[in-house]
Amino acid sequence: MALTFWYGCNMTRHGEVIRLAMRLLEAVGIEAEATGGPASCCGSPKEADARISGGMAERTVARFNASGTPQVATWCPSCHMNMQDWMAPGVPRNFETLHLTEVLHARRAALRPLLVQPVPARVLLHRHLGFDGRVPVNRMVAELLALVPGLTLVEHPLAVPGHMCSSLAAVPGALARAQRATLEAMAASGADTLCTLFHSCHRDAVTLERGRDLRVVNWVHLLAMAAGWPVEDGYKTWRNAADPRAAVGEAGLAAAGEAGFERLVEPELRRAPPV
Amino acid sequence: MSRPMSLASSIQAESARLAAACTGCGACVEACPMPDFLGLAPAAPPAVAAGMRAALQGAPVSPEGLAWVGACTRSGQCNAACPEALDVALMLRLAGMRLKGALGEPPRLPVPGDAGWAARVKAFARMTLTEEEQARWL
Repeated sequence: MALTFWYGCNMTRHGEVIRLAMRLLEAVGIEAEATGGPASCCGSPKEADARISGGMAERTVARFNASGTPQVATWCPSCHMNMQDWMAPGVPRNFETLHLTEVLHARRAALRPLLVQPVPARVLLHRHLGFDGRVPVNRMVAELLALVPGLTLVEHPLAVPGHMCSSLAAVPGALARAQRATLEAMAASGADTLCTLFHSCHRDAVTLERGRDLRVVNWVHLLAMAAGWPVEDGYKTWRNAADPRAAVGEAGLAAAGEAGFERLVEPELRRAPPV
Repeated sequence: MSRPMSLASSIQAESARLAAACTGCGACVEACPMPDFLGLAPAAPPAVAAGMRAALQGAPVSPEGLAWVGACTRSGQCNAACPEALDVALMLRLAGMRLKGALGEPPRLPVPGDAGWAARVKAFARMTLTEEEQARWL
Protein backbone atom coordinates (compact mmCIF):
# COMPACT_ATOMS: atom_id res chain seq x y z
CA MET A 1 0.00 0.00 0.00
CA ALA A 2 1.41 3.36 -1.02
CA LEU A 3 -1.04 5.60 0.77
CA THR A 4 -3.85 5.66 3.34
CA PHE A 5 -6.72 7.97 2.56
CA TRP A 6 -7.81 9.13 6.01
CA TYR A 7 -11.22 10.55 5.27
CA GLY A 8 -12.16 11.41 8.85
CA CYS A 9 -15.44 10.91 10.68
CA ASN A 10 -18.28 12.97 9.32
CA MET A 11 -17.45 12.14 5.71
CA THR A 12 -19.52 8.99 6.06
CA ARG A 13 -22.48 11.15 5.04
CA HIS A 14 -20.83 11.35 1.65
CA GLY A 15 -19.78 7.79 0.88
CA GLU A 16 -19.71 8.58 -2.82
CA VAL A 17 -17.01 11.20 -2.27
CA ILE A 18 -14.84 8.63 -0.48
CA ARG A 19 -15.46 6.19 -3.32
CA LEU A 20 -14.71 8.74 -6.05
CA ALA A 21 -11.59 9.97 -4.25
CA MET A 22 -10.32 6.41 -4.10
CA ARG A 23 -11.07 6.01 -7.80
CA LEU A 24 -9.18 9.22 -8.58
CA LEU A 25 -6.18 7.99 -6.59
CA GLU A 26 -6.24 4.69 -8.44
CA ALA A 27 -6.59 6.50 -11.76
CA VAL A 28 -3.38 8.45 -11.17
CA GLY A 29 -1.52 5.29 -10.21
CA ILE A 30 -1.65 5.37 -6.43
CA GLU A 31 -2.42 2.20 -4.52
CA ALA A 32 -4.52 3.33 -1.57
CA GLU A 33 -6.65 2.12 1.28
CA ALA A 34 -9.28 4.27 2.95
CA THR A 35 -9.90 4.57 6.65
CA GLY A 36 -12.09 6.75 8.83
CA GLY A 37 -14.92 6.75 11.31
CA PRO A 38 -14.69 6.82 15.09
CA ALA A 39 -12.08 4.05 15.19
CA SER A 40 -9.50 6.32 13.57
CA CYS A 41 -10.55 9.62 15.08
CA CYS A 42 -8.18 12.55 15.51
CA GLY A 43 -9.68 13.26 18.92
CA SER A 44 -11.20 16.58 17.91
CA PRO A 45 -14.80 15.71 18.91
CA LYS A 46 -13.64 15.14 22.47
CA GLU A 47 -11.34 18.15 22.79
CA ALA A 48 -12.98 19.21 26.04
CA ASP A 49 -11.31 16.24 27.73
CA ALA A 50 -7.58 15.97 27.08
CA ARG A 51 -7.40 12.45 28.46
CA ILE A 52 -10.00 11.09 26.05
CA SER A 53 -8.94 13.24 23.11
CA GLY A 54 -5.29 12.32 23.59
CA GLY A 55 -6.12 8.66 23.87
CA MET A 56 -8.09 8.70 20.63
CA ALA A 57 -5.29 10.51 18.84
CA GLU A 58 -2.66 8.15 20.18
CA ARG A 59 -4.66 5.13 19.07
CA THR A 60 -5.02 6.49 15.56
CA VAL A 61 -1.31 7.26 15.18
CA ALA A 62 -0.54 3.75 16.45
CA ARG A 63 -2.96 2.31 13.91
CA PHE A 64 -1.26 4.14 11.06
CA ASN A 65 2.16 3.08 12.31
CA ALA A 66 1.06 -0.55 12.50
CA SER A 67 -0.40 -0.46 8.99
CA GLY A 68 3.01 0.28 7.52
CA THR A 69 1.59 2.99 5.29
CA PRO A 70 4.27 5.48 4.23
CA GLN A 71 1.79 8.29 3.60
CA VAL A 72 -1.50 9.38 5.12
CA ALA A 73 -3.61 11.67 2.96
CA THR A 74 -6.20 13.62 4.90
CA TRP A 75 -9.52 14.99 3.75
CA CYS A 76 -10.71 16.84 6.81
CA PRO A 77 -8.85 20.02 7.76
CA SER A 78 -9.53 19.39 11.46
CA CYS A 79 -7.87 15.96 11.25
CA HIS A 80 -4.98 17.43 9.29
CA MET A 81 -4.33 20.25 11.74
CA ASN A 82 -4.69 17.98 14.75
CA MET A 83 -2.16 15.59 13.26
CA GLN A 84 0.28 18.44 12.78
CA ASP A 85 -0.42 20.19 16.07
CA TRP A 86 -0.48 17.45 18.65
CA MET A 87 -1.06 13.97 17.29
CA ALA A 88 2.29 13.67 15.60
CA PRO A 89 4.73 15.87 17.53
CA GLY A 90 6.73 13.85 19.98
CA VAL A 91 5.22 10.56 18.84
CA PRO A 92 7.32 8.13 16.81
CA ARG A 93 5.79 7.85 13.35
CA ASN A 94 6.68 6.01 10.22
CA PHE A 95 4.41 7.94 7.87
CA GLU A 96 4.13 11.44 6.47
CA THR A 97 0.92 13.42 6.37
CA LEU A 98 -0.38 15.13 3.25
CA HIS A 99 -3.73 16.46 2.18
CA LEU A 100 -5.59 14.70 -0.62
CA THR A 101 -5.48 17.85 -2.72
CA GLU A 102 -1.68 17.83 -2.53
CA VAL A 103 -1.56 14.24 -3.72
CA LEU A 104 -3.86 14.78 -6.69
CA HIS A 105 -2.40 18.16 -7.55
CA ALA A 106 1.08 16.63 -7.71
CA ARG A 107 -0.29 14.01 -10.12
CA ARG A 108 -2.34 16.38 -12.24
CA ALA A 109 -0.35 15.48 -15.35
CA ALA A 110 -1.71 11.95 -14.95
CA LEU A 111 -5.17 13.28 -14.20
CA ARG A 112 -5.38 15.56 -17.22
CA PRO A 113 -5.88 12.85 -19.91
CA LEU A 114 -8.74 11.33 -17.92
CA LEU A 115 -10.76 14.51 -17.76
CA VAL A 116 -12.29 14.54 -21.23
CA GLN A 117 -16.02 14.99 -20.63
CA PRO A 118 -17.10 18.63 -20.84
CA VAL A 119 -18.72 19.93 -17.67
CA PRO A 120 -20.37 23.17 -18.74
CA ALA A 121 -20.60 25.24 -15.59
CA ARG A 122 -19.71 28.63 -14.20
CA VAL A 123 -18.24 27.68 -10.87
CA LEU A 124 -17.64 29.69 -7.73
CA LEU A 125 -15.14 27.97 -5.47
CA HIS A 126 -16.30 27.97 -1.87
CA ARG A 127 -13.07 29.21 -0.36
CA HIS A 128 -12.38 29.54 3.34
CA LEU A 129 -9.80 31.78 4.97
CA GLY A 130 -8.61 29.06 7.32
CA PHE A 131 -6.55 25.94 6.58
CA ASP A 132 -5.34 27.50 3.31
CA GLY A 133 -2.36 28.81 5.27
CA ARG A 134 -1.38 25.21 6.05
CA VAL A 135 -2.21 23.63 2.73
CA PRO A 136 -3.01 25.91 -0.20
CA VAL A 137 -6.24 24.11 -1.00
CA ASN A 138 -7.90 27.13 -2.58
CA ARG A 139 -5.22 27.42 -5.23
CA MET A 140 -4.71 23.70 -5.77
CA VAL A 141 -8.39 22.88 -6.21
CA ALA A 142 -8.75 25.82 -8.60
CA GLU A 143 -5.85 24.41 -10.63
CA LEU A 144 -7.41 20.95 -10.62
CA LEU A 145 -10.73 22.37 -11.79
CA ALA A 146 -8.90 24.21 -14.56
CA LEU A 147 -8.29 20.76 -16.08
CA VAL A 148 -12.02 20.19 -16.56
CA PRO A 149 -13.16 20.95 -20.10
CA GLY A 150 -16.10 23.30 -20.38
CA LEU A 151 -15.79 24.53 -16.82
CA THR A 152 -15.27 28.20 -16.07
CA LEU A 153 -14.04 29.17 -12.65
CA VAL A 154 -15.41 32.61 -11.92
CA GLU A 155 -13.30 35.27 -10.28
CA HIS A 156 -14.50 36.53 -6.94
CA PRO A 157 -12.57 37.52 -3.83
CA LEU A 158 -14.99 35.86 -1.39
CA ALA A 159 -13.32 33.70 1.24
CA VAL A 160 -15.49 33.05 4.25
CA PRO A 161 -14.13 32.83 7.79
CA GLY A 162 -13.33 29.58 9.49
CA HIS A 163 -11.43 26.51 8.39
CA MET A 164 -14.69 24.96 7.22
CA CYS A 165 -18.38 25.64 7.69
CA SER A 166 -18.80 23.50 10.79
CA SER A 167 -16.76 26.05 12.73
CA LEU A 168 -19.11 28.81 11.60
CA ALA A 169 -22.14 26.75 12.53
CA ALA A 170 -21.04 26.93 16.15
CA VAL A 171 -21.24 30.75 16.18
CA PRO A 172 -24.83 32.05 16.20
CA GLY A 173 -25.70 33.66 12.88
CA ALA A 174 -22.26 33.24 11.36
CA LEU A 175 -23.07 30.42 8.97
CA ALA A 176 -26.18 32.18 7.70
CA ARG A 177 -24.20 35.35 7.10
CA ALA A 178 -21.52 33.41 5.25
CA GLN A 179 -24.11 31.67 3.12
CA ARG A 180 -25.78 34.96 2.21
CA ALA A 181 -22.39 36.33 1.21
CA THR A 182 -21.83 33.23 -0.91
CA LEU A 183 -25.14 33.69 -2.70
CA GLU A 184 -24.30 37.34 -3.34
CA ALA A 185 -20.91 36.34 -4.72
CA MET A 186 -22.54 33.80 -7.05
CA ALA A 187 -24.99 36.41 -8.31
CA ALA A 188 -22.29 39.04 -8.77
CA SER A 189 -20.01 36.70 -10.68
CA GLY A 190 -22.68 34.97 -12.73
CA ALA A 191 -21.90 31.56 -11.24
CA ASP A 192 -24.42 28.78 -11.63
CA THR A 193 -22.50 26.23 -9.56
CA LEU A 194 -21.03 26.36 -6.08
CA CYS A 195 -18.08 24.06 -5.60
CA THR A 196 -17.44 23.03 -2.01
CA LEU A 197 -14.03 22.01 -0.73
CA PHE A 198 -14.91 20.11 2.42
CA HIS A 199 -17.62 17.78 3.68
CA SER A 200 -18.96 20.03 6.41
CA CYS A 201 -19.35 22.90 3.95
CA HIS A 202 -21.06 20.58 1.50
CA ARG A 203 -23.62 19.26 3.93
CA ASP A 204 -24.60 22.78 4.90
CA ALA A 205 -24.41 24.30 1.41
CA VAL A 206 -26.59 21.75 -0.39
CA THR A 207 -29.72 23.42 0.99
CA LEU A 208 -28.85 26.54 -1.02
CA GLU A 209 -30.30 24.68 -4.01
CA ARG A 210 -33.80 24.92 -2.53
CA GLY A 211 -35.86 27.31 -4.61
CA ARG A 212 -32.82 28.68 -6.38
CA ASP A 213 -31.50 28.11 -9.88
CA LEU A 214 -28.08 26.87 -8.85
CA ARG A 215 -26.36 23.64 -7.97
CA VAL A 216 -23.94 22.67 -5.24
CA VAL A 217 -21.26 20.09 -5.93
CA ASN A 218 -17.97 19.11 -4.40
CA TRP A 219 -14.71 19.40 -6.31
CA VAL A 220 -14.42 15.60 -6.34
CA HIS A 221 -17.84 15.40 -8.01
CA LEU A 222 -16.67 17.78 -10.75
CA LEU A 223 -13.49 15.81 -11.45
CA ALA A 224 -15.52 12.59 -11.58
CA MET A 225 -18.02 14.15 -13.99
CA ALA A 226 -15.14 15.17 -16.24
CA ALA A 227 -13.85 11.60 -16.10
CA GLY A 228 -17.25 10.38 -17.23
CA TRP A 229 -17.95 8.49 -14.04
CA PRO A 230 -21.44 8.21 -12.57
CA VAL A 231 -21.89 10.84 -9.87
CA GLU A 232 -24.57 10.72 -7.23
CA ASP A 233 -25.13 12.80 -4.12
CA GLY A 234 -27.42 10.87 -1.84
CA TYR A 235 -27.02 13.24 1.09
CA LYS A 236 -28.10 16.23 -1.01
CA THR A 237 -31.12 14.31 -2.29
CA TRP A 238 -32.18 13.37 1.23
CA ARG A 239 -31.50 16.78 2.73
CA ASN A 240 -33.51 18.64 0.11
CA ALA A 241 -36.40 16.20 -0.09
CA ALA A 242 -39.80 17.34 1.15
CA ASP A 243 -39.96 14.00 2.95
CA PRO A 244 -36.44 12.83 3.79
CA ARG A 245 -37.73 9.53 5.15
CA ALA A 246 -39.37 8.71 1.84
CA ALA A 247 -36.29 9.85 -0.06
CA VAL A 248 -34.04 7.58 1.97
CA GLY A 249 -36.34 4.68 1.20
CA GLU A 250 -36.77 1.30 2.79
CA ALA A 251 -33.28 0.09 2.00
CA GLY A 252 -31.70 3.17 3.56
CA LEU A 253 -33.92 2.94 6.62
CA ALA A 254 -33.04 -0.71 7.04
CA ALA A 255 -29.35 0.09 6.75
CA ALA A 256 -29.47 2.85 9.36
CA GLY A 257 -31.92 0.96 11.53
CA GLU A 258 -35.32 2.47 12.25
CA ALA A 259 -34.40 3.68 15.72
CA GLY A 260 -31.04 4.98 14.59
CA PHE A 261 -32.57 6.81 11.66
CA GLU A 262 -35.21 8.43 13.81
CA ARG A 263 -32.81 9.47 16.57
CA LEU A 264 -29.58 10.21 14.72
CA VAL A 265 -30.25 10.89 11.05
CA GLU A 266 -33.73 12.28 10.54
CA PRO A 267 -33.37 15.34 12.80
CA GLU A 268 -30.35 16.46 10.79
CA LEU A 269 -32.07 15.91 7.46
CA ARG A 270 -35.12 17.86 8.61
CA ARG A 271 -33.20 20.72 10.24
CA ALA A 272 -34.09 24.16 8.90
CA PRO A 273 -31.48 25.45 6.45
CA PRO A 274 -29.28 28.39 7.56
CA VAL A 275 -30.80 30.68 4.91
CA MET B 1 2.96 2.91 21.47
CA SER B 2 2.63 5.61 24.11
CA ARG B 3 3.51 9.22 23.45
CA PRO B 4 6.37 10.55 25.54
CA MET B 5 4.11 13.28 26.87
CA SER B 6 0.36 13.08 27.42
CA LEU B 7 -1.89 15.48 25.55
CA ALA B 8 -2.71 17.22 28.83
CA SER B 9 0.98 17.76 29.51
CA SER B 10 1.49 18.97 25.94
CA ILE B 11 -1.35 21.47 26.32
CA GLN B 12 0.17 22.79 29.54
CA ALA B 13 3.68 23.02 28.13
CA GLU B 14 2.65 24.65 24.85
CA SER B 15 0.29 27.03 26.64
CA ALA B 16 3.08 28.20 28.94
CA ARG B 17 5.57 28.57 26.10
CA LEU B 18 3.23 30.53 23.85
CA ALA B 19 1.82 32.71 26.63
CA ALA B 20 5.35 33.68 27.63
CA ALA B 21 6.18 34.66 24.05
CA CYS B 22 3.00 36.68 23.51
CA THR B 23 3.37 40.42 24.02
CA GLY B 24 -0.39 41.02 24.05
CA CYS B 25 -0.14 43.66 21.33
CA GLY B 26 -3.57 42.78 19.93
CA ALA B 27 -2.55 42.57 16.26
CA CYS B 28 -4.16 39.12 16.13
CA VAL B 29 -7.49 40.53 17.31
CA GLU B 30 -7.36 43.32 14.74
CA ALA B 31 -6.77 40.79 11.95
CA CYS B 32 -9.52 38.42 13.11
CA PRO B 33 -12.73 38.41 11.02
CA MET B 34 -14.91 37.16 13.85
CA PRO B 35 -15.46 40.27 16.00
CA ASP B 36 -17.17 41.91 13.04
CA PHE B 37 -19.09 38.74 12.29
CA LEU B 38 -20.31 38.55 15.85
CA GLY B 39 -20.94 42.16 16.56
CA LEU B 40 -18.90 41.83 19.72
CA ALA B 41 -18.88 44.84 21.97
CA PRO B 42 -15.94 47.08 21.11
CA ALA B 43 -12.90 46.43 23.23
CA ALA B 44 -9.29 47.42 22.85
CA PRO B 45 -7.49 44.63 20.92
CA PRO B 46 -4.68 44.36 23.49
CA ALA B 47 -7.26 43.81 26.24
CA VAL B 48 -8.92 41.05 24.21
CA ALA B 49 -5.58 39.41 23.47
CA ALA B 50 -4.68 39.60 27.12
CA GLY B 51 -7.74 37.50 27.84
CA MET B 52 -6.45 34.76 25.57
CA ARG B 53 -3.05 34.90 27.21
CA ALA B 54 -4.65 34.66 30.63
CA ALA B 55 -6.55 31.57 29.52
CA LEU B 56 -3.27 29.97 28.47
CA GLN B 57 -1.86 30.74 31.89
CA GLY B 58 -4.88 29.32 33.68
CA ALA B 59 -5.63 32.79 35.07
CA PRO B 60 -9.00 34.57 35.26
CA VAL B 61 -10.20 35.62 31.80
CA SER B 62 -12.00 38.85 30.95
CA PRO B 63 -15.46 38.61 29.35
CA GLU B 64 -14.15 40.02 26.06
CA GLY B 65 -11.28 37.52 26.05
CA LEU B 66 -13.69 34.70 26.75
CA ALA B 67 -15.98 35.81 23.93
CA TRP B 68 -13.12 36.04 21.46
CA VAL B 69 -11.66 32.65 22.28
CA GLY B 70 -15.13 31.13 22.13
CA ALA B 71 -15.77 32.63 18.71
CA CYS B 72 -12.61 31.30 17.06
CA THR B 73 -13.44 29.54 13.81
CA ARG B 74 -9.80 28.83 12.91
CA SER B 75 -9.60 31.40 10.13
CA GLY B 76 -5.88 31.68 10.77
CA GLN B 77 -5.64 35.37 9.89
CA CYS B 78 -4.09 35.98 13.29
CA ASN B 79 -0.95 34.03 12.42
CA ALA B 80 0.08 36.30 9.59
CA ALA B 81 -0.60 39.37 11.73
CA CYS B 82 1.49 38.35 14.74
CA PRO B 83 4.70 40.43 14.90
CA GLU B 84 6.29 37.67 17.00
CA ALA B 85 5.41 35.07 14.33
CA LEU B 86 3.56 33.00 16.91
CA ASP B 87 1.03 30.35 15.95
CA VAL B 88 -1.87 32.35 17.34
CA ALA B 89 -4.43 29.98 15.88
CA LEU B 90 -2.92 27.23 17.97
CA MET B 91 -2.89 29.53 20.99
CA LEU B 92 -6.61 30.11 20.54
CA ARG B 93 -7.21 26.39 20.16
CA LEU B 94 -5.27 25.64 23.32
CA ALA B 95 -7.03 28.44 25.18
CA GLY B 96 -10.38 27.15 23.98
CA MET B 97 -9.61 23.61 25.10
CA ARG B 98 -8.56 24.84 28.52
CA LEU B 99 -11.65 27.01 28.84
CA LYS B 100 -13.82 24.02 27.96
CA GLY B 101 -12.25 22.12 30.82
CA ALA B 102 -9.82 19.91 28.91
CA LEU B 103 -7.45 19.81 31.87
CA GLY B 104 -10.14 18.94 34.36
CA GLU B 105 -11.00 22.45 35.47
CA PRO B 106 -14.64 23.65 35.50
CA PRO B 107 -15.61 24.72 31.96
CA ARG B 108 -15.86 28.44 31.35
CA LEU B 109 -16.95 28.03 27.74
CA PRO B 110 -19.89 25.91 26.62
CA VAL B 111 -18.90 22.39 25.66
CA PRO B 112 -20.76 21.35 22.53
CA GLY B 113 -22.20 18.00 23.43
CA ASP B 114 -23.08 15.42 20.81
CA ALA B 115 -23.55 12.16 22.60
CA GLY B 116 -24.70 10.54 19.38
CA TRP B 117 -21.70 11.58 17.31
CA ALA B 118 -20.08 8.17 16.85
CA ALA B 119 -23.40 6.39 16.37
CA ARG B 120 -24.46 9.00 13.80
CA VAL B 121 -21.21 8.61 11.86
CA LYS B 122 -21.80 4.87 11.75
CA ALA B 123 -25.48 5.19 10.81
CA PHE B 124 -24.58 7.36 7.82
CA ALA B 125 -21.82 4.90 6.91
CA ARG B 126 -24.36 2.10 6.76
CA MET B 127 -26.52 4.25 4.47
CA THR B 128 -23.79 5.38 2.07
CA LEU B 129 -21.20 2.60 2.00
CA THR B 130 -21.59 -1.00 0.89
CA GLU B 131 -21.03 -3.73 3.46
CA GLU B 132 -17.70 -4.52 1.83
CA GLU B 133 -16.65 -0.86 1.99
CA GLN B 134 -17.66 -0.65 5.63
CA ALA B 135 -15.60 -3.74 6.40
CA ARG B 136 -12.55 -2.29 4.66
CA TRP B 137 -12.82 1.43 5.29
CA LEU B 138 -14.33 1.91 8.74
